[in-house]
Amino acid sequence: MAAEMALVKPISKFGGTTPKLSSPRPYGMFCVKMSATAQPAPKSKKGKTAIKETLLTPRFYTTDFDEMERLFNTEINRKLNQSDFEALLQEFKTDYNQTHFVRNKEFKEAADNMQGPLRQIFVEFLERSCTAEFSGFLLYKELGRRLKKTNPVVAEIFALMSRDEARHAGFLNKGLADFNLALDLGFLTKARKYTFFKPKFIFYATYLSEKIGYWRYITIYRHLKANPEFQVYPIFKYFENWCQDENRHGDFFSALLKAQPQFLNDWKAKLWARFFCLSVYVTMYLNDCQRTTFYEGIGLNTKEFDMHVIIETNRTTARIFPAVLDVENPEFKRKLDRMVEINKKLSAVAESQDIPFVKNLKRIPLIAALASELLAAYLMPPIESGSVDFADFEPQLVY
Amino acid sequence: MLGPAAATLSLGRTARLAAPPSHLPDKFPLFPPTRCPSSSLLLPSTVATNGNVICKPLAVGMGMSPRHSVRTAVAVEPNQLSDDPSSKEQAKTYYFLVANAKFMLDEEEHFKEQLYERLRNFGERNREQDFWLVIEPKFLDKFPNITKRLKRPAVALVSTDGPWISFHKTVSLSIYGTIHYPPCLLRSERRFMKLRLDRVLSESYEANSLEEALNSTPVKLEFEKPQKWTAPYPKYEFGWWEPFLAPGSGKPKA
Repeated sequence: MAAEMALVKPISKFGGTTPKLSSPRPYGMFCVKMSATAQPAPKSKKGKTAIKETLLTPRFYTTDFDEMERLFNTEINRKLNQSDFEALLQEFKTDYNQTHFVRNKEFKEAADNMQGPLRQIFVEFLERSCTAEFSGFLLYKELGRRLKKTNPVVAEIFALMSRDEARHAGFLNKGLADFNLALDLGFLTKARKYTFFKPKFIFYATYLSEKIGYWRYITIYRHLKANPEFQVYPIFKYFENWCQDENRHGDFFSALLKAQPQFLNDWKAKLWARFFCLSVYVTMYLNDCQRTTFYEGIGLNTKEFDMHVIIETNRTTARIFPAVLDVENPEFKRKLDRMVEINKKLSAVAESQDIPFVKNLKRIPLIAALASELLAAYLMPPIESGSVDFADFEPQLVY
Repeated sequence: MLGPAAATLSLGRTARLAAPPSHLPDKFPLFPPTRCPSSSLLLPSTVATNGNVICKPLAVGMGMSPRHSVRTAVAVEPNQLSDDPSSKEQAKTYYFLVANAKFMLDEEEHFKEQLYERLRNFGERNREQDFWLVIEPKFLDKFPNITKRLKRPAVALVSTDGPWISFHKTVSLSIYGTIHYPPCLLRSERRFMKLRLDRVLSESYEANSLEEALNSTPVKLEFEKPQKWTAPYPKYEFGWWEPFLAPGSGKPKA
């Protein structure tokens, strides 16, 4: 419980500062929704909680907002296809989920009925999901603010996406309240470390994050619809409409990438596309394999669930990224499974009683093994892909 | 462990986060002024004899939301903007995306979710449905360039909402024509559903009535079961698309 307590503050401390969005400090977001949180560490001397970042801790990302402004400046970039963005803006303004996130008394009852390890893992699930949604809110809000002058249409879409993310984060945080907890989002905003990514990497990462988020939510929703005996917490019933937001957000990043074809059409783009696919898929797989209690608690086989999500996300991503991984090749899953085993050994070393020096020595071969698996997975023959809008063979394509 | 009194504090905080900025959707003009000539709001309420509303005035009193009226108005081509009240048989523009039935109805399961979401939204806001699915549409005969690249049977998503489907050809081509963009940009005429589905062809046509617009050739659909099904859930049921077929047509005889 101590682990949760570090980040999930007692409620009485909550309600303090609101994150200041006008702060010059840029914000970031996690790579994979629903599998993102810091590993809380023991309290430091001043009594403030330190945040320990591990290899697997998904990070907050920050970007070069000046470059973003230039990229979407309609004065500089006259060939920017604004019509796409205007169509998207309409979709976001429609606000399909305006009245969707309304709670009922089922939530509190379900929370009260949940005991033991499942209760703990559920709290962690809510906390991680809430953090991921919230970090999306911060990044989009800031982008909406920064692009207002140079491209009001794109800026407004970002603002409306931050509306969605705030709604999602708030809904999850209310779920935490049923467990008598609340995530201190103000604290998170200030205390997290931010990883800098150039805009094009933000596009790849957020595109994947939104699309993989969609596939995770819809898979859980449809699984529970077919197997209602595992419906242990009512939040999953909201996932069908909820994840349509994620899917739309992904479409927006798809449009952003299409508006910047230089991020899609050369050999470097192909290498980066594969790199981001690999990091997002591996992060999710390793994270989820550490939390099989949660997935088994709702009747899912963790690895089968993850492979389904990876395969579907990869198929979706192939509509925009110039190259994707051959995740349907059985060798890809074998590599992922080997990484899980190595990761388990790494965790065992971390939890052992050895002195730090010995721990580090023991880590070396394991990290080398993990790196070599990652490299091998990265170098597997990729699949050439991309939107048919850019394909040379498009005129010959049969639909 | 933690007192219930504290819970209210948290709710206040979270509620603030979660509260939808309800003013947002209506605060902004539906279309940026550059693309939505204000004249479209001044159009006379022209109702074709067949009952098809060509263009509704911006009248909340009609029980129509302003949003609906404007959206309907936008689907009217610029050449229809002449306020000739006698032309009651005015044609309406329908925009469509088309691909083979297997892709549209069997493989792209998110497409089903999206259509139901839109239908729900139209219901909630009392908007008249303006999008349909057409199996083996007759209007395809007008597009030999499309049919020669299409696996059959084909399924089209048809709507009077141009931006949602694809592009205002007339407007766009004249704009692009003057600036001389390279052909690759002319091809990148995408709109929302095109952006989502990607592997579809897009065009528009005019028809005098909804019935004419959505005319189809009866065909029996059959989809082979997917070779490997990795999902921990069953596929959407065959026939999920029936609520979207043209009113009173196309439904299989039970």
